[in-house]
Amino acid sequence: MSPLLEQFLSEARDFLQGIGEKLMQLEAAPADADLMNELFRLVHTLKGNSGLFDAPEMTRVLHAGEDLMDAVRNGRVAYSRPLADRLLDAMDFVGMLCDELESDGQLGAAHAGDSVRLVDALRHLLQPDDAPAEAPAPESTPESAPAPTASLAEPTPVADTASLPLASIPEAVRMQAYRRACAGEPLSWLAYRPHEQCFYQGDDPFFLARQTPELLWSRIEAREPWPPLAELDAYSCMLDFQLLTAAPRAALEEQYRYVMDQVQTTEVPRLALVMPQGDPNGGPVYDDFAADARRLLQTGDLEGLARNASTLLELSSPDLWIASALRWLQLVLETEPENKAILDALVDCLGSLAAPQWGTAGAAETHTASASTSIRQDPAPRNERGQEAEGVADASDEATPALSPLAADALAAVVAAQGEVLALTDEPRWLPGRLKAAAAALSGCLRATGATAKLQDLEAATAAALARNSGAPLLTWIAAVFPAELVGEPGAAAPVTAAPPSPAHSAPQPPEAEGEIKFGRRAEDAISGPKSLKVDQAKIDRLMNLIGEMVVAKNALPYLAGRAEAVFGVRELAREIKGHYGVINRIAEEMQGAIMQIRMMPVSFVFQRFPRLVRDISRKLGKEVELILEGEDTEADKTIIESLGDPLMHIVRNSLDHGIESPELRRAAGKPATGTLRLRAMQESDRVVIEISDDGKGIDPDIIKRKAYAKGLIDETLLEQISDQEAVNLVFAAGFSTTEVISDLSGRGVGMDVVRTAVEKVNGSVALTSQQGRGTQIRLSLPLSMAVTNVMIVVSDGQRFGVPMDRVVETVRVPRAAIRTIKHSLATVLRGRIVPLKSINDLLGLSAPPKANADDELAVLVVRLGDESLGLLVDDFSETLDIILKPMTGVLAGLPAYAGSALMGDGSVLMVLNVKEIL
Amino acid sequence: MKRILIVDDAATVRLYHREILETADFMVDEAMNGIEALEKALQTGFDLFLVDINMPKLDGYGFLRELRGQDLPQAPAIMISTEAQTNDERRAYAAGANLYLIKPVKPERLLAQVRMLLGELHP
Repeated sequence: MSPLLEQFLSEARDFLQGIGEKLMQLEAAPADADLMNELFRLVHTLKGNSGLFDAPEMTRVLHAGEDLMDAVRNGRVAYSRPLADRLLDAMDFVGMLCDELESDGQLGAAHAGDSVRLVDALRHLLQPDDAPAEAPAPESTPESAPAPTASLAEPTPVADTASLPLASIPEAVRMQAYRRACAGEPLSWLAYRPHEQCFYQGDDPFFLARQTPELLWSRIEAREPWPPLAELDAYSCMLDFQLLTAAPRAALEEQYRYVMDQVQTTEVPRLALVMPQGDPNGGPVYDDFAADARRLLQTGDLEGLARNASTLLELSSPDLWIASALRWLQLVLETEPENKAILDALVDCLGSLAAPQWGTAGAAETHTASASTSIRQDPAPRNERGQEAEGVADASDEATPALSPLAADALAAVVAAQGEVLALTDEPRWLPGRLKAAAAALSGCLRATGATAKLQDLEAATAAALARNSGAPLLTWIAAVFPAELVGEPGAAAPVTAAPPSPAHSAPQPPEAEGEIKFGRRAEDAISGPKSLKVDQAKIDRLMNLIGEMVVAKNALPYLAGRAEAVFGVRELAREIKGHYGVINRIAEEMQGAIMQIRMMPVSFVFQRFPRLVRDISRKLGKEVELILEGEDTEADKTIIESLGDPLMHIVRNSLDHGIESPELRRAAGKPATGTLRLRAMQESDRVVIEISDDGKGIDPDIIKRKAYAKGLIDETLLEQISDQEAVNLVFAAGFSTTEVISDLSGRGVGMDVVRTAVEKVNGSVALTSQQGRGTQIRLSLPLSMAVTNVMIVVSDGQRFGVPMDRVVETVRVPRAAIRTIKHSLATVLRGRIVPLKSINDLLGLSAPPKANADDELAVLVVRLGDESLGLLVDDFSETLDIILKPMTGVLAGLPAYAGSALMGDGSVLMVLNVKEIL
Repeated sequence: MKRILIVDDAATVRLYHREILETADFMVDEAMNGIEALEKALQTGFDLFLVDINMPKLDGYGFLRELRGQDLPQAPAIMISTEAQTNDERRAYAAGANLYLIKPVKPERLLAQVRMLLGELHP
């Protein structure tokens, strides 16, 4: 599989998981805007990723899901359970496609039908009649009805560009904009007022604004006068962004899609930009010029008019108002000489020194009937004052042809990279080649941006660099041709206003905007959460095995020390070896702990699937259930956590199916209609305990008894004698299933015995308590880790055996006289309780009799077996040890008496008993 | 027509990049490792190299060092890595890369950078 696909699949699973979780959370808090945004983001990013692959079915479904979530978060469609259902269905479908991609590397053709059906289902929810909660728009004209996929504030049909502070845009920028508008590009005024708390949402308004496509001019100002420094809240955004752009609406919507509620756009008719400005002191133009101009205009001699205007312009100071008006006249003559109305108005204003009024006539003429505004009524003069007072400077891009943001980024990236290449100080033999390649890249930049005139300089710099065998001459050249502010930050090539020092700079948030700046993964794609490393489990297992071997090898040192002293008689050396052993021992133990820590996982790993499961099942059963998860961050070894999945699933299904009653029954029983299911994890010393409790109807011991009898699990005598608790425990017996009807959900021919088996497989135990009518509680207790087993070593018939410590209750020495024979079985009384005794030699088929010590006492290892205790007669006890237990393999795997073997420090093999099996 | 050599051992990645570049009317050739790439580069000139890092036989760094060590006209090279590691970036530049990108690279971004390196005016 390609790394790309692999990456995609692993990421997609994370996303799907996240989407499922967020949907669940939304169910509890349907109005949470942050959740909705996050959900949208996840679906959106997943859709984007899927587009890299040939998976149209997946992309199609995700696209529909994205549109739907977009509508939901914008409030156009109300969040509802059916909506969540369909989205979940869609995500399940996507998950299935991911599985198929993983196994087959491609998608079969069979999914097209499903995807179309899902898309239809999702799109159907987008229909306005599916969202009756939505209030009708006040001016219920057909056009203003919210379109399903529309976004960004729709222009309202009120044309009022007069309120825009267009006059504060420098003339040169306005002229450039005018030209582009004449060429058919749409001009928009965009006012972006970020939320005050936007920095906490990961927004970077400054960056976002600077990345606006086709940006012609921009300005940032404070919303209100800055407070004294001591009172300034640097983390609250107090800025307004105003921009003039020639980008189409769709591009703006894309750019600002995450902050659409904070953005207002206004179409700017190009004539609104024709606004002569300057010093009026020069007075109006001479009458004869005005008269001439009118005459030339009437006769259609536009060339003559242009000539006159140009002459007069040369004679006038460029700062004068009339000079500005003349420049506009020239521009209009150049761009749209056929538009007499504009020319007339400009010539008129030359005489009157009054700005031309582009009323309805102008607007109609320029096809901007739909021009509109929904901008806040900010009086322009205040803006201008504010601008001057705060020293806001305007900057514009007049010199070079405007690059698209993508190209500007590419330019910045390439130039910056060459800077790094050239700044390297090593001198490998391939340095000349490296210099040449960098020069080639820079030459590409020049040619791509049309600056071919500078190619010669570049060649000279390259020659100098090659002659000196150093990148310095080329670095100097870069600094001169691509100044730092152009390439300091990729993306900075777009024209921007120099901003006043603003909180935006200090905010440590990652750039939120389009992400065009980051190579590779977009910043916005990063899933919030702890930084972690994905490691193949096989690598950890290998590490685990290695440390196991090291522990064994380490254990050989004391043995070696013993030999040094006893066999070779070098006590000094023996002591040193022992000393060193202490050090290695400590390190090995720490290392072992650290590696085990890597394998630790929170139980949330298994818990996280239950919200969805409980929701789906309870709805299928027509029950209302509230799931409460507690202690999700309790950790245990990966093996343990993974082994929990199936038993838990089974228990939860049982609870839902048999435990919690239908709402009617619950009400009749005086309980709240909604049942409660609680999953609780906690750590108790070296065990992790999971409790699953419900407040359902509990287990009726009589039913269990009858059932068990009917199935032949107990006989008549037992039926009479058995206690209620013992009866309840019968559910763990193999082949026991209480349901009359085998439902779709639980009772698939397997019962709680499967749970018990699975839990015991990882040295866990399960206990069940139930109160009829009140509910059932199941308690799973599992070891934190299986990697290291603590065993007690016992000796019998000269052989050493290991017994897992979690089975051992105590070690006692019992005088031979205290051992009685009861019905052919041995037993003794320990602290008032009768403890049956078994000789380990008998159990293992060893012929030797138990050996007593000098005081004629027998060693008894008391072990736990379920709820009972039992004594094992051994010859002697030895130390307890941490061992790495290796399961029996090959033909030995057929020996159930042994749980496994372990290698000891002296190279011998220790057999570890499976106590449950031998008794 | 500008010629680009894709050097990558993963067929899917080669295919992915080939499709992007061919739709933009570049002429594309492929090499599966550094050795093969070097042979091709010495036989026929290329205008740009798209180089993966981890490859059998000769990796991306090795290929670039050999290539830059030739006394020939040098074409720019883009090194494409799977993981973001600043060390890798420096290493790539030191070996002779002219740009360092991290997979997966968006087609439009890759194209913009390819065009910039090749000196093609942007559409």
